Amino acid sequence: MTILSKEIIVDSLTKIFTQGKSKLEVLKDLTFDVNKGEFICIVGPSGCGKTTLLKIICGLEEPTYGKVLIRNEPPNPIKHRFGMIFQEDSLLPWRNVIGNVKFGLEIKGYNKKESEEISRKYIEMVGLKGFENYYPYQLSGGMKKRVAIARALAIDPDLILMDEPFADLDAQTRSLMQRELLRIWFGVGKTVLFVTHNVEEAVFLANRVIVLTKRPSRVKSIINIELPYPRNRLSQSFISYREKILKLFHEEMGVSEFGT
Amino acid sequence: MKYHINYLFSFLSIIVFLILWHLFSIIINIPYFPSPISVIKAILEIALIGDVDKYTLAQHIYVSVERVLLGFSIAAITAIPLGLIIGIKPLIKDTITPIIEPIRFIPPIAWIPLAIVLLVGITRYIFIIWVGAFFPILLNTIAGIKRTSNILIQMAKSFGSSRNQIIYKIIIPSSLPEVMTGLRVGLGVGWMCIVAAEMIGGEPIGLGRLIIKYAGLLRLDVVIAGMIVIGIIGMLMNYIILAIEKRLFKWRQEIIIT
Repeated sequence: MTILSKEIIVDSLTKIFTQGKSKLEVLKDLTFDVNKGEFICIVGPSGCGKTTLLKIICGLEEPTYGKVLIRNEPPNPIKHRFGMIFQEDSLLPWRNVIGNVKFGLEIKGYNKKESEEISRKYIEMVGLKGFENYYPYQLSGGMKKRVAIARALAIDPDLILMDEPFADLDAQTRSLMQRELLRIWFGVGKTVLFVTHNVEEAVFLANRVIVLTKRPSRVKSIINIELPYPRNRLSQSFISYREKILKLFHEEMGVSEFGT
Repeated sequence: MKYHINYLFSFLSIIVFLILWHLFSIIINIPYFPSPISVIKAILEIALIGDVDKYTLAQHIYVSVERVLLGFSIAAITAIPLGLIIGIKPLIKDTITPIIEPIRFIPPIAWIPLAIVLLVGITRYIFIIWVGAFFPILLNTIAGIKRTSNILIQMAKSFGSSRNQIIYKIIIPSSLPEVMTGLRVGLGVGWMCIVAAEMIGGEPIGLGRLIIKYAGLLRLDVVIAGMIVIGIIGMLMNYIILAIEKRLFKWRQEIIIT
């Protein structure tokens, strides 16, 4: 594969936040690349700058040194189509479900009829048919996340960026959402960058898992998960991948309490 | 848990208040101090027969409400856009704040001499009410804009929103509840300025003017009648806007309650 066919190139990326006189180096010399259609999970200790990395990749933050290229160009949210799913609730509370899903389409300049049609399609895809007119306050955490996913997918993104999207969901909903996400990914074949601190989740979802060190973060290791989908969490090979990554994780944390 | 208003107790408290007032008027025994009965009589007298200039209570109310709504509307039209600009542009905020901050602590009554010298006719009423209503609307609008969630702005940017799209699709809708609160408080304050405004208006009509007219005649029964009517109308206007707020911002009300 030539370098031109890479979807994302992260090259010697360094990010330093300055607040007054104090400097906080969050990312240091981060280098990796992502192929088109890949599902990449990024794991790392909390506070290691995973969110910052996603924000730089979708152009919300500027790198201090180094560069990020999306299809050989600097990230540009107007030109590139980013489907960013934030860790926090990012739904517009004054819009109902369909109004929220339409938001990205409005920004991308779709007309009313198109955005209505597309929104309904994706609402159905995330399993929220019948909830079109509900407002965010009437939805559970898992449903809100689905709306955010539908909103991101509706614009037909080149790249889906997910920042610990399932972190505040209960175990059951979480596992359901993971399977749903894989189903959607198989359907649309998008490139996905998925940040999590949950190793089991990463092994369950990803083609490749990028393990970051603690702050200032570098790439500690990149692991190919050569397991067919759907993956069985109880299989020996699944567990050995999980243990392998957890071990890397523990080396970083210096503690052993970090579980799945 | 939902709490239901106990109407019986609300009603009883009014009755008890009127009885205490009545006893107080008997005890102090000053002929100018009216009992509740004479105030009720005064209300009926003004409502049915009219005042010394033959204006009825309904006419007084109509004229005052009209003046306040006029001044209030102009306050809304001026304060909301200014608040929006101040909220969005830090440089304009820094420029305007040193002028606005001291001015907002000047009571509307203190503006009366200026209004008398510089203005004529209805513009005097409008000016005084505008001064009262302007600042609550302005400050709440600015507060609403400041409270816009950063994550929503980032979300909009990640889709490639322009600056204007962020203003119109995120900042303005998210600050509307505060703007509405500002309108409600502004209307209340504007209404409370009615007596001050009508002191200088010259025309013999309006609730404030009614009070001033009868104060000169030492008819405190009519003065208190006018005060009560002003209080009740202010309360009703507040209820109306509260009801609108509840309807429009259901998404927000529920967030606050739960």
